[in-house]
Amino acid sequence: MIDFDYVRATDLASAGRAGAAPSTRFVAGGTNLIDLMKLDVERPLHLVDINDLTRADPSLAAIADLPNGGLRIGGLARMRDVAWDAKVRERYPVVSQSLLLAASGQLRNMASIGGNVLQRTRCPYFRDTAMPCNKREPGSGCSALVGINRSEALLGTSEHCIATYPGDLGVSLVALGATVHLYTPAGSTRTLPFASLHVLPGAHPERENVLRPGELITAIDLPALAAARRSLYLKVRDRASYAFALASAAVAVDLDGRTIRDARVGLGGIATKPWRSHEAERALIGKPATASTFHAAADAALANARPHKDNAFKTTLAKRTLLRALTEVTA
Amino acid sequence: MRSLIDREPATCRRTERAIEAGDEAPDFEFTSAGSTRRLSDFRGSPVVLAFHGAQWDPARAEHIDTYNRLIGKLGGLAGARLLEIGGDGPWRELRFADEALSLPVVTPGDTSIASCYGSGNEPAVFVIDGDGIVRWALVGPMSLANPTEVARAISVVAEPFVHAHNESAAVHERGAWTRRDFVATTLAAAFALALRPVEAHAQRVAALGKAPESQGARSVTLNVNGHDLVLQLEPRVTLLDALREYAGLTGSKKGCDHGQCGACTVHIDGRRELSCLTFAMMQEGHRITTIEGLANGEQLHPMQQAFITHDGFQCGYCTSGQIMSAVAVLDESWGPADDEVREAMSGNICRCGAYPGIVAAVQEVRRAQASNGGGQTR
Repeated sequence: MIDFDYVRATDLASAGRAGAAPSTRFVAGGTNLIDLMKLDVERPLHLVDINDLTRADPSLAAIADLPNGGLRIGGLARMRDVAWDAKVRERYPVVSQSLLLAASGQLRNMASIGGNVLQRTRCPYFRDTAMPCNKREPGSGCSALVGINRSEALLGTSEHCIATYPGDLGVSLVALGATVHLYTPAGSTRTLPFASLHVLPGAHPERENVLRPGELITAIDLPALAAARRSLYLKVRDRASYAFALASAAVAVDLDGRTIRDARVGLGGIATKPWRSHEAERALIGKPATASTFHAAADAALANARPHKDNAFKTTLAKRTLLRALTEVTA
Repeated sequence: MRSLIDREPATCRRTERAIEAGDEAPDFEFTSAGSTRRLSDFRGSPVVLAFHGAQWDPARAEHIDTYNRLIGKLGGLAGARLLEIGGDGPWRELRFADEALSLPVVTPGDTSIASCYGSGNEPAVFVIDGDGIVRWALVGPMSLANPTEVARAISVVAEPFVHAHNESAAVHERGAWTRRDFVATTLAAAFALALRPVEAHAQRVAALGKAPESQGARSVTLNVNGHDLVLQLEPRVTLLDALREYAGLTGSKKGCDHGQCGACTVHIDGRRELSCLTFAMMQEGHRITTIEGLANGEQLHPMQQAFITHDGFQCGYCTSGQIMSAVAVLDESWGPADDEVREAMSGNICRCGAYPGIVAAVQEVRRAQASNGGGQTR
């Protein structure tokens, strides 16, 4: 690991200023960043520790009701605290489940919500500095296109990158239509839909989100959503626990009798960013909650899948994952 | 600062190799209670020399039983019960009921004595018999956090000393220097790991023929197992490396070093976290507990005992992480089923496959806590 200097920010303004400098990274839990620093994938010269920001502003790590019936989660709240929070579990089970099915108990105690949604891909070529990777080294080529690509994405890929977005929480948040609050180095704030936070790789896979240097995620708002109470996160892995998703589905359904009044569908493990399937939602809304409806939704969700040599099995797996999630959540 | 060893020893020479059992113990001078002594003044009595880091605090109240047991093994002092541990800072004194023994324990930050014994800056224990011959030597990366090591050391010479004592008690009375002052045991804690960690590390690295990279190091205070350790660290030193390589606490293991195995699990402010994925500097101001700080003196933590009872390990490499994780799991919101335990513990990998024993151990402690009204284990 290269040497770097380390400062602790005590307020948002100084954090924003320090974070806007070149070769600078914020660190909160550190679970993703420090791992990548050890691999020499991340090589920051300056590290700004933002954990102390909660002393001046406890709301940065809090979970609080919003006037509109939604819930605000501080960017520095830890995965564990959000996962077990009573309000989250009652009103947004999909959020709690996606957190508890992610990482391990130790990592969930460390990792912040803001850092979690920004975690980098697990593509083995991205993590191996000996191999070409457009995301890590723009213009060097994509090793996964012709290499071992079992873990790579089916949706949202480009000819430059097929790396999978690895997170679980983000899949729930994009399905629910969450909102992200940012603090900017200029001292102002800005807000954007969670669905706009991440960008597709296109010709610039090195750019993964719309954050500008020094911008910090201060909070994520969960909207008031009737379907959210009947929601579920289903994750399929190579082993029973503590693994990244081969395929996952975040579903939320509002039923009127057996008719689907509203539905939200997010897919994980198969796309280059947290993936919301409007196609699946259209196939569900207004339809009866039956197996044939769910089959149609699953087919619609994966209609544009572009498999590669080793990951074609994930098309079927993702469909079955969504099918089972919808079946369980409407049971 | 009052110091047991406050100047360069006159007759002690640095040695290229570690002193071993059978060697003559290098003599050295030191000052105690205002008068200058030599190690050779103790001929006729066994002496224990311990070079250790600050993580073994001899003044912890839970060590009273250990000291009493040590004294029992030394013979001739039966019934001398330890009343209190006095003093503060680097100087401690153990006071006994009948004034049979006072035991000064000092951390003077003087590494010269240790270097005479070739122990460099590693923890070490030497037991020297009445003839000045080293009878027992333990040098290396072992941790002296557990006073049991010292007890084991003393037991090596306990019997011969009993004979010597019975045969010629007068031998021990040399001028003003009496058994009552300093009978059998000198714990010369000349080891300065915690006080001068960078020097210690630098010397160790230098001994390996590599130049230390110390630019950018700064003073970092870590609260580990209730003690403040002042370490000189670069920002890129992880908490795990700080514990293992700078503080001498090697109980936390480095498995994958990438947050995938759980062997490095410690508690930070009571929560289980991975010490390999956080920088030591980030943990200033936080309370760190390692496996070395789990037991209450000689009494194992219930989870440690349960892992023994249920064979919760084979090779043992993942065990400290498993136990730290398991203790913290019981403070989390998991349900009582075996599957919940498996899920909660899934961040700790065991390549020996001791999982059934691990689950059984966690369940035993969980049930015991539940039947005791859900009290916490720590």
